[in-house]
Order: sequence, then C-alpha cells, then structure tokens
Amino acid sequence: MTNISRRDFIKVGTAGILTTVLTGCQNPRHWVTLEPYVIPPEEQLAGVATWYATTCRQCPAGCGIIVRVMNGRALKIEGNPQHPLNKGKLCARGQAGLQILYNPDRLPGPVQQTKRGSGRFQPVSWEDGLNTLYARLQQAGNSTAIWTGSTTSGHLLDLFGRFAAAIGAPSPLVFDLCSELNGLATLENASQAFFGKNRLPTYDLDQADVVLSFGADFLGPWLSQVRYGTAFGAFRSQPLGKRGYLVQLEPRMSTTGAKADRWLPVSPGTEALVAQALVRIMADGPLGPAERLTEANTLASEIDVSSVAAASGIPVTELEQVARIFATATRPLAIPGNALAAQDGQGTAIAAVHALNTIAGADGLALSPDSPATWLLKPQVSPFSDVQALIERMQAGDIQLLLIHGANPVYELPESAGFVDALAHVPFVVSFSPIADETSAQADLVLPDRTYLESWGYNVTSPGFDLPVVGSQQPVVTPVFDARSTGDVLLTVARGIPAAATALPWRDEVAFLKETIPQLGPGAAGGSDSDVLWSRFLQHGGWWSATTPSPVHPTAVLSQPVQAETPQFQGNEQEYPYFLHLYMSDFMSDGRGANQPWLQGAPDPMTTVAWQTWVEMHPRTAQQLGVKDGDVVRIASPAGEIEAPVYIYPAIRPDTVAIPIGQGHTDYGRYARKRGSNPMDLVGATDEGLAWAAMRVRITPTGKKTAQAGFESKIGVTEGFINEAFPR
Amino acid sequence: MALAEHKWTMVVDLDKCTGCGACVVACHAENNVPIVSEEQTVRGRAMHWMRIERYWEGSFPEIKARFIPLMCQQCERAPCEPVCPVYATLHSEREHLNLQVYNRCVGTRYCQNNDPYKVRFFNFFDPIFDEPLTQQLNPDVTVRSAGVMEKCTFCVQRIRRAEERARLEKRPLTDGEVAPACVQTCPPGALVFGDLNDEASAVSQLLSGNARQFKLLEHLGTEPSVVYLKGGTSYVGT
Repeated sequence: MTNISRRDFIKVGTAGILTTVLTGCQNPRHWVTLEPYVIPPEEQLAGVATWYATTCRQCPAGCGIIVRVMNGRALKIEGNPQHPLNKGKLCARGQAGLQILYNPDRLPGPVQQTKRGSGRFQPVSWEDGLNTLYARLQQAGNSTAIWTGSTTSGHLLDLFGRFAAAIGAPSPLVFDLCSELNGLATLENASQAFFGKNRLPTYDLDQADVVLSFGADFLGPWLSQVRYGTAFGAFRSQPLGKRGYLVQLEPRMSTTGAKADRWLPVSPGTEALVAQALVRIMADGPLGPAERLTEANTLASEIDVSSVAAASGIPVTELEQVARIFATATRPLAIPGNALAAQDGQGTAIAAVHALNTIAGADGLALSPDSPATWLLKPQVSPFSDVQALIERMQAGDIQLLLIHGANPVYELPESAGFVDALAHVPFVVSFSPIADETSAQADLVLPDRTYLESWGYNVTSPGFDLPVVGSQQPVVTPVFDARSTGDVLLTVARGIPAAATALPWRDEVAFLKETIPQLGPGAAGGSDSDVLWSRFLQHGGWWSATTPSPVHPTAVLSQPVQAETPQFQGNEQEYPYFLHLYMSDFMSDGRGANQPWLQGAPDPMTTVAWQTWVEMHPRTAQQLGVKDGDVVRIASPAGEIEAPVYIYPAIRPDTVAIPIGQGHTDYGRYARKRGSNPMDLVGATDEGLAWAAMRVRITPTGKKTAQAGFESKIGVTEGFINEAFPR
Repeated sequence: MALAEHKWTMVVDLDKCTGCGACVVACHAENNVPIVSEEQTVRGRAMHWMRIERYWEGSFPEIKARFIPLMCQQCERAPCEPVCPVYATLHSEREHLNLQVYNRCVGTRYCQNNDPYKVRFFNFFDPIFDEPLTQQLNPDVTVRSAGVMEKCTFCVQRIRRAEERARLEKRPLTDGEVAPACVQTCPPGALVFGDLNDEASAVSQLLSGNARQFKLLEHLGTEPSVVYLKGGTSYVGT
C-alpha cells in the first residue's frame, strides 16, 4: 500500500497504541479508559491548565492541595480552598512539593548494592527486585520488621499492618524525627493522663484573646503551620473585638516569639515550674473570677514563687503581670511546647500547662476527633520505647528483614541510639525511598515508591483538628521515573505467601481504596452510589462531614496539683556550660526539606541565612568566647560533637546556644549532601526518648572562618572571608 | 471592549505577618525565579522577588523582632524608570504597574542602582534548573537569561489570565479574582490584593480610615502601590 490516507493512518496508529499499552503494562493501567486520540480527553487542551486535588505530604499535618497541570506537567501547588484544615492556604514546604516530584536525584528505578554504604547501586528490573523481596520475606517469616514514618499514607499503613499480622510479625513501627520533634506521642499520652483520652489536643487560637505559649512554635513547623498560621490571622483581628495578646516563654526567640506581645526568655526546662507558679499566684492573688479561683485553689501546688523566678530568670513582677492577664482574660489559652515533651517523657510538664487551661474553663481546648471510621487508619506515632525495643531486637539478631518506608532513621537518629550498629546485624534491609537517602545507602535493595504527587492514598488529618477529615491522594501526573507504588509492591509479593494472600486479596491498592473509601458515605460533597462517592472523594480532595460537629471540650479529670520536676540535663555545668536549644528549621523541618532547592535557597526568617547550618549565640556569649559572626566553633555534648559557624543572635539567653535541625546530610541528593552539620549528633538517647531539649554543650573556637550565606547585610562581618571560604 | 483601568494595590498587615516564608517560595514557583547557589548567595547575588526582612528592636531581654515582607513597591513615580536607557523598565498607565520588559533589557543595572527598596535582581548567570526540574517551570512566565534585570510583577500573568477570562464571559473583573502567588498562599492573610479604584474592594475597605497605614520611604515621593499596616500594640490585659 503506497497511499495511506490520513484516516487510515489514524486507524493504524490508534490500533498500534492500544496494543502497546495493553501488552506493555498489566497492573495499574486497567483503571485508565483508553480513548482514540481523535477525541482528545477534555482535560488535555493545549495551553489550558487543569487543577487536581490531592493531599500534601511534606509533614504529618496533611493540608489539602490543588495542583495546576498543563500538558501533563505539574506547574504549581496551591492550597485547596475547600479543605477545612488549610482553607486554600499553604506553607513554604507545601509550595515546594514539585521539587520532590521533579527532583533530579530520584532513583530512576529499583537498585541493589552488594556492599552497604558503598554507594555503588546496580539497577535491577522490577521483576528481579520483587522476586528478591519475595524470597527474603519467605525466608524471614515473622522475623520481619516494618518501619514507617508519620507521613506514610493511611492505606499503606493499613496494608502493612494487615501484612504484618498475616505473617505473624509485630505491627509496623511509626516513627520519624518529625513526629519526635513535634512531641506527638508524648502529647497524646499526656491527654490520656489528663483528659482520659489518648488524643492530640487542638487549640482554638482564633477564639482566644490571650495566649500563653510555653515554647510552642505553632507559627513554625510545629503540628500544623498553616492551620495555626491561619488561626493567628484571626487571633489578631478576633471576634471579641480585641487584638489577641500573645505571651511566649522560650529560651531562644522563634518565629512565634517574634510575633509575641511579650517575650519571656525562660531558662530551658523551667517552663513547667513557671506554669505551676502562675497557678500559685492566681490562687494567692486572688486573681480572676470566682469559678477560676476555685479551680486555681484546687490545682495550686506547694511551690515557692520567688524560687521559680530565680530558676527561670523571669522576675516575680513579670510572673504576676502574666498571671493577672491570664486570669482576667475572656478566653485565655495555654499551649505546651514540643520541648516540654522532650524533657520529660511522662508528660507531667504538659499537664502542668494544661492545669492553666483547666482554670480557664478549657474552652479554648478540644481533643482531636476520632477517625470517622474505625477502618480508616490514623497514624498512631510509636513511643520511643518501641524504637528502642526494635533496635535491641535488631542487635540481638532477631530481625532477619527490615522494611523501611517514609523514615530515614540513619540520618534522624543520633549515633547514641545505636541504630546504625544494630543495622549491621540485620541480614537484609529494603528501603522504599524514592531518593537515595542515608538509610537507602545502608540498604541492600531499594524499591523506590512514587512521590506523593504520583500516588494514591488517604490521610486522616492528624494535628489535632476538630472536624474529622480524610484527605484524598491521587496522582496528578503520570509517574516521572520508573518507581512503583509500595502498596502495589506489597500486594504483589503477598500473593505468593498463603497467609498474606488471604489477608490482602486486592488486585492493587486502588481496588483496596475503592472498596474502603465509599463506605464513609456521603460527606460534604454528597453523592450516592459507590462510584460517585469515590469520584467526589478525589475531586474535592477528601471527605469531611457536611456539618461541623460541636467540638468536644475535654472534661479535666485532674483534681490535684501537678508536680512537675526540673528536667535532668545531660552533661554537668562545669564541663558543659551552655544549654543546647535545637529547633526544627522552618524550611527543612526535620531534614526532609533539604533536597529541595527552593527550601535550601529560601532565607531563614530569623537569620536570613540559606544553605547552611549555624549556631546562634548571644552577643555577650560570643564576646566571652572571643568569636564573631562566621567563626567556626566546635560544639561538644556528652553524646557527640559537630562544627558550625557562629551567628550572633540578640534574642537568646546568654547561657543557651541554638542550632537549627535539617542540614548535615551525607546523602539525600546533590542539594542536601555535605552541607552544614547535623545537630542530632549532639543528642543523647534516654529510656524516655531522645533528649533533644535536655542537653548541655561545650563550645570551643576552631580558629576557622566561613562566609555566611545570609541575605541581610553584614558589612564589616563577612567581607574579606568570601574568597577564603570559596577560593576561585 | 476597552480594557478597564485598575489601580492594583497590595496591603501588607505587619501585625499578621508571621515571617513563615510561604510567599517567598510561592513566588519562586510561580515566577520561575532561579535559586542561587550557596557561593553566589555569599557574594550577594541571591534572587528573591519577595523577601522577609527582619529587624531587631531593643536589646535582650526587652527585645522584639519585626518582619517586613518586601517586594517591588510598584511606585507611581518610580526612580528606576527614568534611568533606563532602553525603556525596559516602564510604567503602565492603565494598570498603574511598573513593568519590566526582559527582551529589551541590556543589563546596565542603572535601575537597580536607583531603586531605593533594593527589590530588583540581576541575572549574573544563566539560571540552572537541573533536569527534570525544568518540568516545573511556569509556561506563562519567561525564564530570564544572564544579563537581564528582573523583579516582582504583581504576578502580571495572573492579572492577564483573570482579565481574559472576564472578557470571555463578558463581565467586569470581580474583587478577589486576581491574587498574586504570595497573596494566594499567605496563611494568616497578612497580604491582601485588589483594585483601589473599586471602592467596594477588600483593599479599599481595609485602607479607608485606617490609621495604621504607611508606605515605605514615603518621603522620597515614590508613591508606592504597596501599603503597610503597622504592627498593633493594643493591650487587652488589665
């Protein structure tokens, strides 16, 4: 045939495409309806953007997002205006999600290495990768351990849980640095002791007129930056007709402290004492209305206010003023910070703060709701004791196979936790990380999962939120690399293991989700039959109930004074004269943001420094040590040591130094690798958890200098060092 | 249909700004603003059309930090405009915007020198987007090459998109329809954008009779289109 008409060509062409697609892929493609190209799909108009709703997975909060897609490329992420959690708004990390999807250092496909840590990854086919995983699972049986993170999708946690139960292995561990630094497990535990329910508390910032924050960086990366950021806007122009008043107690000024009307540099670890002193002052005053006084009298502990003033560094007059403001406000609210959780794993410090809320009538406080359905998993962060138990079992050689998804323990845990040593006793380690991070570098096999913008899933929003919400996750673009969804990987290998095959009968994860999600019934988006409910779930970015249930304010079961003790700091005062204050960087969070150039290059709000680690110290401290901005110092704690340049920071206690967490990666792609230092190396592990807020350090100048990548002018400070730091 | 005249204005409520930096990253994403390496940042060549300036006030322990988000002030009498020898920096009378025409720019940097707010950025090098990061680039915005000056445009591409949609639907623009990327994402709602010619718009309402308003370096007579609202100091306690 020499003359092919245009019509014939299209026919032949279409048939060709159809055959290729049908034979080429078996698994997830059966959800796609193939249409001949002569009828272009509606959403594929050249030059016209389509928006798809899904859920952000940069932190555990789970904001709803909409992604602008044009010609198959994801171009911009914005907040989903319908989503009750973030109402169309988004933080810096949420905005940067595209750089996870299009990260140049993502693994092109499954890889393996013969020697751990060699960095010599050999590409393998998916078939071989899956067969290896299957063989290892067969071999390991119930000595398999699964480690997941706080941003692992709910459906995957569910599948992992069912799988573990089927093979007789312990249920998956949910632990990453983000959950630890947020103090999630301790906060939930404290609620158990205080309100009788193991639930994250939620704070009605927008309804309060006075907020007393004990180091809670709620405008930073704690719990949900967007939710509390939005609430802060309302707090400043709140319905009571007054401008909300914020008191922040913390040793180093955070972004939240920068917005405070009164910033009180409290000595690290004395926050709970201050809370108890405030209760004492109210009872003794007497301050506030009668019903508050009754509560204050019940809850006031035998504590000497002047000795608290001496220990905390906050004068008695100041404490009295704060107590008066709190006691006489219309809707006062006290928020315990995450550092309290790290100083005292039992949560008594948190309870001491919640005693103030009890006095205030607990109006500004609610407990986050139950998952709207028992079959939808809300990640329950494992306490650190579970992590230690697993590390011990690894050390003892009880673990034959370790599967790691959504966590990077090699980077996140300090050396003192012993994870790296224990890993050597595990014969086979499989990582599902889409990018070669520190943990993948120590793995034998990496089966890269898809990133969140290419994945299916759901997320029961966790950060203490009063309306039950299940966020939906759907792919907004076709996968960029040859990554395969871990849910599908698990369902595939489960087919070969009889017990698991019965427990996981689904063809793929979408079949599982389509069976599960519509059981929620019609929410705010409406709909009747299962297909419609499923489409609405994806279209609107999730499921939430049509009516806002009235929040359940906890009834305090506390009837006696809280006795919080001063925490024990690791390191004695003579040898280690400074308190160490670690905080999550606004952009790097717990370090997971370090592979995104938008987050690396964005100047830190307080210091304007980008790309680097620094150690903040008071001008007087710097003078005593004889160091200036950019001078590199060695910071040593009983657990380890790092080097970092000095940043002179006027809003920090002279006895405290502060370092942002997030840099110091040895792997994790070109933007993160060999940049700054990881202050988690300074942290010691205790039985109660990581003592990231209970360390003392020693500082010694090294004589080295570096140029700081700050955006602010430091004329006379960094000039002259530039060529030294970056020789041409 | 003749295009309507607009007086695009941004209001920045300093009492609400939390310095979170969402606007900074949103701007990079929307406008293809390159990220400058660590070394070039040290050399003072970082590029952020939108930045958060932090000022210290007082000394420890009575110290305060103040955030000021800073972007091109879209001056009515912009000092950067008359010094451009090639009309790359010019004024839109219809929209009261300060425009930058990249393909006219010859890189004299006179405008940067004359800009009192220091919100203009020069491309010392061609931008680098490692593959496949090029996929994220916004097709509505040009990627600028070496030797070209760039700055905040109030997301003029978003203004155009909204105008075109309104024209197609044969209706005037409505308030809130146009939001630059920074305004769209701002969690506490510290940034508000709209048309000051429209008396019913959110910006007009917010500014009418508001004693907190001020403009940056007002004494220079630049007549900025960005209006700041001072941080509040009211005290609710007794």
